[in-house]
Formats: sequence, structure tokens, C-alpha cells
Amino acid sequence: MGSQFVLIVSASIFCIGATGFLIRKNPLVMFMSLELMLNAVNFLLIGYSHFLKSLDGQIFALVVMTVAAAEVVVGLGIILTIFRTRHELNVDEIDALKG
Amino acid sequence: MFYTWLILILPLLGFAGLSWFGDRIPKKLVGPVGCATVGGSFFFTLIALIHLLSMEPGERVGNVQTLYHWIQSGNFTLDLAILIDPLSVFMLLVITGVGFLIHVYSIGYMEKDPNIDTFFAYLNLFIFSMSVLVLAADFFFLIVGWAFVGLASYLLIGFWTEKTSAVFAARKAFVMNVIGDVGMVIAAFMIFENFGSITYMDVFAQAPEKFLANDDTMLLITLFLLVGAFAKSAQIPLHTWLPDAMEGPTPVSALIHAATMVTAGVYLVARCHVLYDLAPYTMMLVAAVGVITALFAGSMGMVQYDIKRVIAYSTMSQLGYMFLAVGIGVYSVGMFHLMTHAFFKALLFLGAGSVIHSMNDEQDIRKMGGLKESMPITYYTFLIGTLALCGFPLTAGYFSKEAIIMSSWYAEGSNPVFWALAIAGAGMTGFYAFRVFFYSFFGTCRTAEAHPHESPTIMTYPLLILAFFAIFAGFGAPLAHSFLAPVFGGVVPEHHTNGFLEIIAVGVALSGIIVAAIFYAEGGEAEGKSDGLKELLAPIHDVLFRKYYIDELYDVLIVQPVKKTGEFIWKTGEQKGIDFVVDEVGAQVKEMSRLLSIWQSGKVRIYALNMIAGTVFVLIFVVFL
Repeated sequence: MGSQFVLIVSASIFCIGATGFLIRKNPLVMFMSLELMLNAVNFLLIGYSHFLKSLDGQIFALVVMTVAAAEVVVGLGIILTIFRTRHELNVDEIDALKG
Repeated sequence: MFYTWLILILPLLGFAGLSWFGDRIPKKLVGPVGCATVGGSFFFTLIALIHLLSMEPGERVGNVQTLYHWIQSGNFTLDLAILIDPLSVFMLLVITGVGFLIHVYSIGYMEKDPNIDTFFAYLNLFIFSMSVLVLAADFFFLIVGWAFVGLASYLLIGFWTEKTSAVFAARKAFVMNVIGDVGMVIAAFMIFENFGSITYMDVFAQAPEKFLANDDTMLLITLFLLVGAFAKSAQIPLHTWLPDAMEGPTPVSALIHAATMVTAGVYLVARCHVLYDLAPYTMMLVAAVGVITALFAGSMGMVQYDIKRVIAYSTMSQLGYMFLAVGIGVYSVGMFHLMTHAFFKALLFLGAGSVIHSMNDEQDIRKMGGLKESMPITYYTFLIGTLALCGFPLTAGYFSKEAIIMSSWYAEGSNPVFWALAIAGAGMTGFYAFRVFFYSFFGTCRTAEAHPHESPTIMTYPLLILAFFAIFAGFGAPLAHSFLAPVFGGVVPEHHTNGFLEIIAVGVALSGIIVAAIFYAEGGEAEGKSDGLKELLAPIHDVLFRKYYIDELYDVLIVQPVKKTGEFIWKTGEQKGIDFVVDEVGAQVKEMSRLLSIWQSGKVRIYALNMIAGTVFVLIFVVFL
């Protein structure tokens, strides 16, 4: 397996994640898509860590996972609060910051 | 004589202390503190008097005490200095002496007022300002004191801020007085330009050498000074504020608008007599305005129904006599009338206050009547005050006013017309003074629910003391004249005796009293009923009652045009001009913002799309181009 395989898989997962983020209206699903994108990048980092014989990429991947976990905590908290106050979870309806 | 500064500083401390701590000390303590500072000033004034009397008459003038040099700029110097001479001490005796009695009276009168601490703070401020005015050794501090008494007057007229009419009256008084202040300031500038100094000593020493009589400059300076004097002393045509000023608490009317502040104009002319002696035309004007005001105010006073307003008109009228006296050059006669007037007019106002107090703040004499039995002390003291005001023989008013009327016959600067008008004014005085007297104290009480009662002793003692002076002060005339003589170039006014003229003067005053007795001895009529006078004066009654329509005239000539101009500038200049530009700039910015804000849709997915599209665009740009 060459590095092309890693690149293609990573790019595919990233595009699936990005598309999912754009077309879904449920914030939970959007979060999952977000995770997909993050993990696509992690995959790339770990793969290239292997090819380049450097641990930097793996450490980077760990940091990204930590940040993602923290972000999900905050995000879920916001989503819960929005659901409690508005009783709906359609991101197109949530446009209170419209100019 | 360092203690003379205490005369000024004590009331100032009283004002500062009562303003800062007045609401934290017990209410009962406020009045005594306010009185104590003024009493202290009076005490030190007495010491200053004794000190002056111990000097040779020639040394009594020109005692300027400098505390420090305040301003030195080019050839202009200004010292913080006060002038102790017979004239200023004479004025101080009236200010602090009568002022002290009125302070004591106020303890009783304002007892129930929740803001009594503010009231006493303002009263102390007034005493301080008035002392600055008379102790000033130069025109600068004269104007400072002049403006400060105006401020104190404004604050005290509008003391009852919940009363709209009082607030308007205060504003009117302030505006009228500022007109006078402007005149004073212009005069001070002209004095500095011509003499290079503004201290009395320099100016009065140089004036006779530099200028001939009736020099144009001299006339202008004296006329501008006179604007200030007329505004402060409520002389025609700047008189309309004084009757309205009666909206204030009665002790204020007694202190400021009868005994002291309104006499500042007379003091000014007397103080600047060196300048006025060089301007005979101005002197003529002073005398003419004085005597016309005396007559004019008397005629308005004859038909008013508000007890305080009638006394206010009589104040204007008596001030007119004082101006007549200084206008014909008998300065110390005018100053002596100033003092006796302070006694009997303060007495009348405090008596009126006592009546108003017991009638539950009723000021309309048509609703009074029959107070003779229920208020004996007020009745007798008021009678004494009224007699003194009319110049009844052997009262204080007789000696001082008679001297003015006699001088108006004999003095060089006078003429028989002034004398005749002064006599006519005296007749009116007798009439309106006793009209009020009969209305309030005779007959039966015309308000059923009123329970008139004598005022507490703290209010009646000042009345008794003032009544004593209103009777006996007149015998001090020779003493006062010789005391004041050094200030007025050593001239003691001649004492004229002419039995015939005296009989005419007294006779006219007495006939005024008799006419009042004929109409009102039964105690006057209630509201709505026509009294004898009204029918007699039918054609001109309304003109007199509406004060010759002068307020209306000023309204049409000055107030309305100013209002219209203001409204024009407001509606056209501001609303259509400035506001339009400001609003339009704002609207354009808003419109541009609106166009930009379309981008901010609030939809997360569109933001994400933009982000991805942007990233792709940048990638394409970097990789392929």
C-alpha cells in the first residue's frame, strides 16, 4: 500500500463528512459529520507518521482528538440548551443572529 | 482689625456647615446654628463700630484691609481686601442686626418645613453675599457680592420648589437682576479703562481731577452703574420682579426684599457719590426715577389684595424715596431712611408673616379680618410698623421720610415738582398701609374655618424688638448723620425746619390714613363684594390692579419675541437644519450596513458552504495558478 491509498481514503472520508455537514439539518448528525472530517485528518496524520518515520503526526492526532472531545462537550451542551428552550433542532430555523 | 474678616467668614462657615451637615444634625439645632453665625457677625460689626468711633472722624474713611494680593497682571492688580468705613459699617449693622432678628423669627416660621436646614444655609449664604457687597473695597468684589445676593435671592424665592408660581417668580427675579449685573460689569470695564484701577480709593481720588462735571464718560459710567442699582432696587423700569418675589417664604421677603438686598442700589449710589457728584444729569435721573417709582408703586399698592404684595409695593415706593434723597445729593438722609425703613419694613413683613402663619398660609386680605383680638402682639407691632411707614409724627419713619421731603424742597438738585410728587406719594402710603391694616385686623374674620392664634414667642420677640426701633430709631438721626459725614466729604445735611411745609407733609399723610379709615374702618369686604374704593376708582381700578399692564407690555415687547425667535431657531434651525443633516448621515450609513448585513443570514450551513467554497477557491488558486 502506498501513500496514495491513505490520501484517497482520507480525502474521501473528509468529503463525506463535509457533504454531510452541508446537507443535514439535524445538529447531532452535523456533529457526527464534523467528527468524520476530523478523523479523516487524523487518519492522514497517522498514515504519514508511518511513512515519514516520525512520531510528530501521531502526537498531533492525539491533540486533535482531545480538542474534538472538548468541542463536542461544548457543542452538545449548546444543542441541549437550544432544544430545551426551542423544542426543535432544525439548524435552518435557528437564525437568531441574522443581520 | 483682623476680626473684621470674621464678619464675612462666619456666615460663610454657617452656609458650608449647614449645606454639608445640615441633614445629619437634629432639626432643632439647625436654626440656632444659623442664627449663631449671623449673631457672631453682628457682634463683630459692633466691635468694628466701636473701633471706628474711637478714631478721629477724619481717619475713619479709607481703612482698606488687605488679606493678600490675589491677581497681578500687567497694570491690573486685584487684592482680596475689605473696606471698613462708616458707610460699610452702617450697612453691616442693618444687615447683620435686622438679619439676626429675622433668622431668629425664621426658627419659628419654618419650624415645620422639612428642608429647614437648606433654608438656613441659604439665609447664611445671603448674609455672606451681602457682607461681601458692602465690605468690598473695589468694583470687582462689589460685583461678586452683587451677583451672589442675586443668587441667594433666586434660591430663596424659589425655595418652595413644588410651587410653580414661586419657581417662575425666582426665574423672573434672576433674569431681571442679571440685566442689572451686565450694566455693572460694563461700568466696571469703563472705570478700569479710564482710571487704570478698580479700587474705590484710586477711582474716587482720580475722578474729580480727571473729569469735569457732566463729562460724557462720567455720565455713561454712572448710567451703567445705575442699571445695576435700578434692577437690584426694583425701580422703574426694572421693577416687575419684586412683587412676584413675594412667592418666597415671608422671612425671605423681610430680609432680602425689604430690609437689605433691595437697598443695595441706594448703597451703590451713596458709595459712588464722588462719581455721581460729577454727573448732575444722572443725579437728576436718579431723583426723577425715584420719585416716580415712589408714586407709581404707591398707586399700584392701593388696590392689591395680597398682604405681602401691598407691602412689596410700599417697599418699592420707599426705595423710591431713598433714590430721591441720594439723587438730590443728601446721601446720609437717604441712608438714614434706608435704616429706619429696614426696621419698620422688616417689622411689617414679619407681622404679615405672623398673620399668614396663623391663617394657615392665607395671604388674601379679603379672607382675613378681626385679628385684633386673637393676635394682640402682632396687632400692636403691626400698627407701629404701619404708623412708621406712613411717617406718623415721632415714629422713626417720620424723621427719616420727613427729612427727605424737606430736602426735596430745599436741596439744590431738587425742584418743587419732586417735592409735590413726594408729598402725593406720602398720601398714598398712608392710605394703602392702613387699608391693609384695617382689612386684616378690624371687623370680623371672613374665613369661617380659620382659627387665628398668636404666634409663638420666638416669632413675637423679634417683632417687639423691631417695633422698639421702629418707634425710637428716628431720634438717632443726628448721630447717624454725623457718623456718616466723613464718607460724604464731611457734609452734614442741614436740618430744615419750616412749620408750614411740615404741616402739609404730615397733613397729607394723615389724610391718607383718614381716607383709609373712612372706607375700611369696618374691616373691608369679602372677596367678590365691591368695596367703596373700587367704585370710586372704577375707571382706573383695573389699570392699577393689573399693575399698569407693564408685565403684559414686557411680555409682548420682549418675552414673546424672544420666545418666537427661540422657536424659529428650534424648529427651522435645529429640526430642519442640524437634525436633518445628522439624521440623513445616520440613515445612509444604516442603508449601507443593511446591504452588507444580507451576508449575515444566520444559517450555519450557508456559513459552512462559504467556508468550504472559500477554501477550495484558495486551494485552486495556490495549486493551479
